[in-house]
Amino acid sequence: MPHPLNLTINGEPCTLLVEPYCSLLDMLRDQLQLTGTKKGCDEGDCGACTVLMNGKTVTSCMVLALDARDQEITTVEGLRQGNTLHPVQAAFVQYGGVQCGFCTPGLIMSGVGLLLENPQPTEEEVRFAIGGNLCRCTGYSKVVQAILKAAETMQAQAS
Amino acid sequence: MPDSKVLGQNYPRVDAADKVSGRSQYASDVYLPGMLMCKVLQSPKPHARIQHIDTSRAQHLPGVRAVLTGRDVPEARFGNGAVKDKRLFALDKVRYIGEPVAAVAAVDEITALEALDLIDVTYEDLPAVTDPIAALRPGAPLVHEDLPSYEGYKPNMRGNICTVLDADRGDVDMAFAQADHVFEDTFHSQGINQGYLEAMACVANVDPSGRINVWTSTQAPYQIRATLAEVIARPMSRIRIIPMELGGGFGAKLRLCVEAYPVLLSLHTGKPVKLIATREETFTLSGFRLPTIVYLKTGVRNDGTIVAREAISIFDMGAHLGAGVQSGVSHTLGPYNIPNYRMRSYAVYTNKIWSGSYRASGVADVTFAVESHTDIIARRLGLDPWEFRKKNAFNEGDLALQGGTIPRNGLHETMDAVKSHLGWPRASKAGTGVGLAMCQWRSGSGPSTASVSLLEDGTVSLLTGSVDISGTDTVFAQITAETLGVEMNDVVIARRDTDLAPFTGPSGGSRIIYSQGKAVQMAAADARDKLIALAAEHLDVQPGMLTCANGRVYMTETPERGYTLGQLARMSLTSASGPIMGTASLSAMPFAPIFSTQAAEVSVDKETGKVRVVRFVQAQDVGVAINPMAVEGQIDGGAVQGIGRAITEEVVIKDGKILNPSLTTYLMPMAADVPSIENILVQVPTDDGPFGARAVAEPPGFGPPAAIANAIEDAVGVRIKELPLSAEKILRALHGEAPASTELDRDLLQQLRGSSGPG
Amino acid sequence: MNRFEYREAQTVQEAVEMMRQEEGARIVAGATDVLIRWRQGAWKPRYVLNIKRIAGLDEVSYSPDRGLSLGTLVTVRTLERHPLIQEHYPALAQAATAFAGVQIRNLATVGGNVCNASPAGDTLPALLAYGAECRIAGPEGERLVPLEQFCLGPGHTALQPAELLVALRLPPSPPRAGALYIKHSPRSTMDIATVGVASVVALGEQPGVCQEVKIVLGAVAPTVIRATAAEALLRGQSVDAEHLQQAARAAAQAANPIDDIRGTAAHRRAVVAPLVQRTLHYAVQMAQGSRLPFQMQRGLAVEAVF
Repeated sequence: MPHPLNLTINGEPCTLLVEPYCSLLDMLRDQLQLTGTKKGCDEGDCGACTVLMNGKTVTSCMVLALDARDQEITTVEGLRQGNTLHPVQAAFVQYGGVQCGFCTPGLIMSGVGLLLENPQPTEEEVRFAIGGNLCRCTGYSKVVQAILKAAETMQAQAS
Repeated sequence: MPDSKVLGQNYPRVDAADKVSGRSQYASDVYLPGMLMCKVLQSPKPHARIQHIDTSRAQHLPGVRAVLTGRDVPEARFGNGAVKDKRLFALDKVRYIGEPVAAVAAVDEITALEALDLIDVTYEDLPAVTDPIAALRPGAPLVHEDLPSYEGYKPNMRGNICTVLDADRGDVDMAFAQADHVFEDTFHSQGINQGYLEAMACVANVDPSGRINVWTSTQAPYQIRATLAEVIARPMSRIRIIPMELGGGFGAKLRLCVEAYPVLLSLHTGKPVKLIATREETFTLSGFRLPTIVYLKTGVRNDGTIVAREAISIFDMGAHLGAGVQSGVSHTLGPYNIPNYRMRSYAVYTNKIWSGSYRASGVADVTFAVESHTDIIARRLGLDPWEFRKKNAFNEGDLALQGGTIPRNGLHETMDAVKSHLGWPRASKAGTGVGLAMCQWRSGSGPSTASVSLLEDGTVSLLTGSVDISGTDTVFAQITAETLGVEMNDVVIARRDTDLAPFTGPSGGSRIIYSQGKAVQMAAADARDKLIALAAEHLDVQPGMLTCANGRVYMTETPERGYTLGQLARMSLTSASGPIMGTASLSAMPFAPIFSTQAAEVSVDKETGKVRVVRFVQAQDVGVAINPMAVEGQIDGGAVQGIGRAITEEVVIKDGKILNPSLTTYLMPMAADVPSIENILVQVPTDDGPFGARAVAEPPGFGPPAAIANAIEDAVGVRIKELPLSAEKILRALHGEAPASTELDRDLLQQLRGSSGPG
Repeated sequence: MNRFEYREAQTVQEAVEMMRQEEGARIVAGATDVLIRWRQGAWKPRYVLNIKRIAGLDEVSYSPDRGLSLGTLVTVRTLERHPLIQEHYPALAQAATAFAGVQIRNLATVGGNVCNASPAGDTLPALLAYGAECRIAGPEGERLVPLEQFCLGPGHTALQPAELLVALRLPPSPPRAGALYIKHSPRSTMDIATVGVASVVALGEQPGVCQEVKIVLGAVAPTVIRATAAEALLRGQSVDAEHLQQAARAAAQAANPIDDIRGTAAHRRAVVAPLVQRTLHYAVQMAQGSRLPFQMQRGLAVEAVF
């Protein structure tokens, strides 16, 4: 039986009806057509479904949609400001961190989440921070480079 | 590339901004009104007769709109390759755990799953054969007892033998007899899943007028169209395949996989039907690589010259012809000059899902064997592994396996590059070691078409049917821009489907840059020639006096006399030859080899057996790097796939059942498991590729297993001949515990040696 | 995959009362498991009971005399990053940093990990080594159960019907103590342990003598287990290499592993001694005053450094 759900998604308040067994991921995709967040395994092992929940990265396939009541969710669609890409997005573009693109939204959210907590990570810290995001195309080198470059850009912007 | 504005530049992928914004549309992102969800019922048995299927309870479940079984679809067989040994649904019997038996369309996935539970199937168990050696024995249960009646059947397919290939040259037995040393080793490669992040997905919608629209995740839209037409018995022209953004395929999506089920259900219900495979179904509904055994015997002289090689490979093929057996006769020599050889390659049917394609299928397995064996020989002879390889490696002009001679190539340059970058040979600290491997592949060929149109404002539209996986669209834009002398931003790649673009071959096998890129270059050149011809006509000069550059066609001697491309495009609308369009179509490209040398530096924990790759270096001959950043990204990814194959990945199958169809237990490398890959791009141009480029994508995955096995021997003195190189295997070897015998029975080898195989 | 219902509790009493009145509840806190097990067909709850909104269950409090109190809802990410936990209960922070990936650590709760009672659960060896005690609320009120008696078998705990784990308490950490957790598994992130070892060593007044030691093994028995015979060999002895070796070999005897998809029993048995020796070695170093940066502790914990 569906329950009502109120939450904020990418800054917009939303009201929906969801079934108890519906994941946050399925709700975002099937009911809101926010298809940027991807389903890679549906069991938390690949990170393709990563979103920010109250500023922390979480794998949305494991989160009950109803558990997200009153929370603030940010998906990849919420990163761009108008026509301007977030620095992490821009760095992925510029430094070749994108190939097939399926892991990309989740990876970007992990990168954004990392830099919120640790604005100047080392390469090792980046690799561990994205250690829950599987990528089969890039071998991670250019992804790591992109996140490090984004950190530089954001530090420069901040000062 | 002198004086090029566009070639050699690190342009970001043309689709990258869409992908980082979450805007790119993959097949599972398609939502149509009234859409139903499809689930497939799969066999729980490895080998059984189907006595009865009762779908009535499922059909009556509220929310279920259709249930189909083998009785509801055309009976004809189809195939992944030469022999047609597959059906959409099992009809008389099931041949592997996971084989489709029925499909359901319902209002949502949970209802469809509930419906699957309500389908009653009565099976009669049959003895299963799940090991290829057992399958080769006389009297083994037959996976396909009606094999001789299949289209594509050949007389050498006896018993459970699906394919036999051979290649011989010289007198291998005499050469062995005369060699100073003979070495024999047997190697085992494991089951490997392609690991694409995007599981198979497809939406089918049949229009009332009979047009079948299929949005799907595929590498090969034209091949899918052809097979689909065959299996559902409809004309190809009624079927429109729209390849959506592809979230990885690596070979798994080269052939018809799941598309037929939503299509049939849409035909049946008149509604759009969507199927999204689960991660588990990427192991059970789609073929991945099954294990391989490779036996190598090599004769060498004291001075290290290789004089003879025998290779016998056994590919577990699963229940249907899949991929890989070719590598047993194409790659078991390695990139070495070997005058006498005998190669035999067998694909054997077993009761498992078919052995699917994964990046030059089989070559990684065979390369593990060859490059491990190469090191073993070098060490036993007391030769440096690099020097031994250098001595025997191909040179330009040597006889090529494929016929003809080896053209100009950068193999030796890659060897030299790795040697100097790494500093070889070198003393390593205790517990660490370095190992080498060399990889070879060929730039893919196959039918390729392209057309280039000039728009009235001087911008350019490129249309090709190829699916962009590795950033090839960006490279095509660079090729087009370079040829026509326009800016990158002025080139647009048209969105395409099988209705819009003419036939082109699949995206796989390292085909796209070399063949498809060539077609793009030719089409752009054709358009350029037509622009020049039109300008020449209007300027009343010979075409040879004109230059096409910087967005204009102008007199070389007096540049102010000329036209912009936009002007020419507008003029062409009323010219005798009509709007400017360049086209190209080709079907075969000359042989252009790809070579790479790789080195892995590892650290081994002697107390636990754990191995870590601390450095990975590779030098690859890419011909010409049209986009170095894209090329590096490709070879980074391939190398890490190879590292996964070397150390952590294994599909574990027991009695036909996959024990780890999940990313929790099928372990692919994550970011903290690998170092940054060090790449050296060697550029020895080909004569035929676009601007001299070679294909790039597949070789990096071949070498890591041997490079790492060789590095482990260098580090701690143990040799592991079975993948993956797990902590357990390494620790047991360090403790002197010999593994269970992995050598092939001598009698079996003798039988496999003959061209006609056992039996 | 049954169509289960959803309930939320706002207080502990409400949760207990709901479970008392209606059977078939599956408690969810981080909810890292329920949807996955449900999709696999392993769990078929009649309803899920979400306790994440209960105030006060996510608190961390520490004092030198009372030790550490962890609310059941404290996330594994908090265990990883909390400065007081890193300082006083380093094996717990190391276990947390070795746990899955960041996304799951942001969701997973220490209570959830304990109630899952997996023999391979990463936080369990450290919790046991630190002498954790479980505070349980139920229809009869509250009771305390040492962690050693709480996990009874894979997936099986001492919780009675309508009971809820509300907190864990760890006794004060003695002075001159050090600890290391090592997780033996193929990758550096996301794996379930093939073998897990946590050792805590406290030195006496004389810096070279072991006053107290706990050695806990994970994934080599139906529950995490203490290698008590090994501990007895080291307690009161000098912490030189030979004694550590002796204890390590004895610890291997305590292991009773099985074959499964993550490893054979033989391999598990073979790595216990070296891992115990290594955890003891670093525990002693830390007890003697070496400050290992957290990066290094993590590297050791996930075998990225050895």
